[in-house]
Amino acid sequence: MLNVDLAVVTDQLSSGDIPEWDSVGNLAIISTIEQELDVEFPLEDLFDLTSVQSIVDEVIMLKND
Amino acid sequence: MINASHSPVLCDIFTHASSTPGKIALVAGEARISYAQLQERILRVAAFLQSQGIKPGDRILLAANKEADFIYLYFAAHLLGVVNVVVDSSSPNERLDYIRKVTSPAIALGDGIILPGLTCISFHDVLAADDVSAVPIHVPQVSTDSVADVMFTTGTTGAPKGVCLSHANIAGSARNTNGFIGTDASDVEALALPLSHSFGLGRLRCVLMAGATLVLVSNFANLKSFFHVLETERVTGFGMVPAVWQYIKRFSGRRIARFADQLRYIEMGSAALSVDDKRLLMELFPTTRLCMHYGLTEASRAMFCEFHACADNLDTVGRPASDQVQAIVLDEAGRQLPDGEDGEICVRGNMVTRSYFLDADNQDAFHGDWFRTGDWGHRDARGFFYLTGRKKELINIGGEKVSPATIEQAIRSLGITDCACVAIPDPKGVLGEVPKAYLQRGDNQPAIERVKQGLIGILPPHEIPVEWEWIDKIPRTASGKIQRLKLQQ
Repeated sequence: MLNVDLAVVTDQLSSGDIPEWDSVGNLAIISTIEQELDVEFPLEDLFDLTSVQSIVDEVIMLKND
Repeated sequence: MINASHSPVLCDIFTHASSTPGKIALVAGEARISYAQLQERILRVAAFLQSQGIKPGDRILLAANKEADFIYLYFAAHLLGVVNVVVDSSSPNERLDYIRKVTSPAIALGDGIILPGLTCISFHDVLAADDVSAVPIHVPQVSTDSVADVMFTTGTTGAPKGVCLSHANIAGSARNTNGFIGTDASDVEALALPLSHSFGLGRLRCVLMAGATLVLVSNFANLKSFFHVLETERVTGFGMVPAVWQYIKRFSGRRIARFADQLRYIEMGSAALSVDDKRLLMELFPTTRLCMHYGLTEASRAMFCEFHACADNLDTVGRPASDQVQAIVLDEAGRQLPDGEDGEICVRGNMVTRSYFLDADNQDAFHGDWFRTGDWGHRDARGFFYLTGRKKELINIGGEKVSPATIEQAIRSLGITDCACVAIPDPKGVLGEVPKAYLQRGDNQPAIERVKQGLIGILPPHEIPVEWEWIDKIPRTASGKIQRLKLQQ
């Protein structure tokens, strides 16, 4: 999606750590995950979704709800 | 003091280094660099460039990475009369290769530029070279009108156009901007805009010319981190494009309002912002100067509108930025139109480019000494300008102008008979405009999803059309030019 080497993408990677994960990239990530995994991130949670780990945790939480 | 009279921006930086040497000029990660250190590093890097045989008038391909090292190199080149060809190193290789072929740079500097046959030195290696500091720097006789930077912007035909900006142009733009916004030495600015674009690079020059402090922030993606910077560095100003404002609203709600008392100014530009959003910003920032510019890389910050001062006509793009800038409305023949009548907005002034890098691009770029913006609009009796349309068919995606021809070429490369792309409003309301593709029915009619998949890797994600439609025939003029406006209607 961001045309980056998968080796770069670790759980600790945060938005802004790599130039490709900018605001436009973040929007693409959030909307693609919502579409592909059939989840909807609550607006009030978006502010805290700043790393791969936090997004994974949020998806798991939404799927278990 | 080193004589840098050809570069008013450098003169101001060197003056600050002399009058307030300990004042922090740059904050980059953990590093805090004073004006004295900034000057010392610019001189050191200039000595390095000289040691590499780079001569006045030579061009260097400079990767605009958000690092202090970029800033040293950028100004070191100016000092030596060397021309910066500023590029985004994450651009597709075809674009970088085209820019290299057009400008014939002596060398490339920065990480991420890999072009066969062109020597590229990383920022780290430039700064690590410690055998050059004793070399005396020879500052050549260079005119303020000589080219300082070449910035590549999107051409309507798809090929990027190199905009030549002189030392006088970039200084003029910074002075006009600081004069309007009021940035001064007391300010601390967070810079999260990309430095490869005119807006971000312009902010950098404004802040350092003013003797203020610039805090480098990678981008706006991580708003938690951006807000942390606003708080800990006591930031008083920043710049953003309208797409970033939509992002801030969606991802952080009204949290940013808690910085209203400390933010003296916010500069916006590069795309349109709705009147509703302007009103919301005024409500959230009642005492902050909310300054929106209108301009192009060729004529940076030609006009300004401050929202609180324009509360009764927020649909204006403003008035000329200073008394050094003039704007008029001309018809196709170059005749001035009266107030209220629509025509092409044309500008002239201290910040307007004199020419494009390639002569072919200069054709039709000017009416006399008036630069043709390609934007349609009018002026009212009070001297405010209003945009009503665009002659150029570029698509403004989140502030980045994209040529429809580039997207069409990529789609055709997948075997589609013919296609045309136009701008449509972003259905998600974030990026302003997004591309829509019209595809001509023919023998090859693959599923849209397959076309989209095929474009991944050819086009950046945001340039892949959001809407698609099959039509019988792409409308073209007798000479074969795509009639995109017809499709847009």
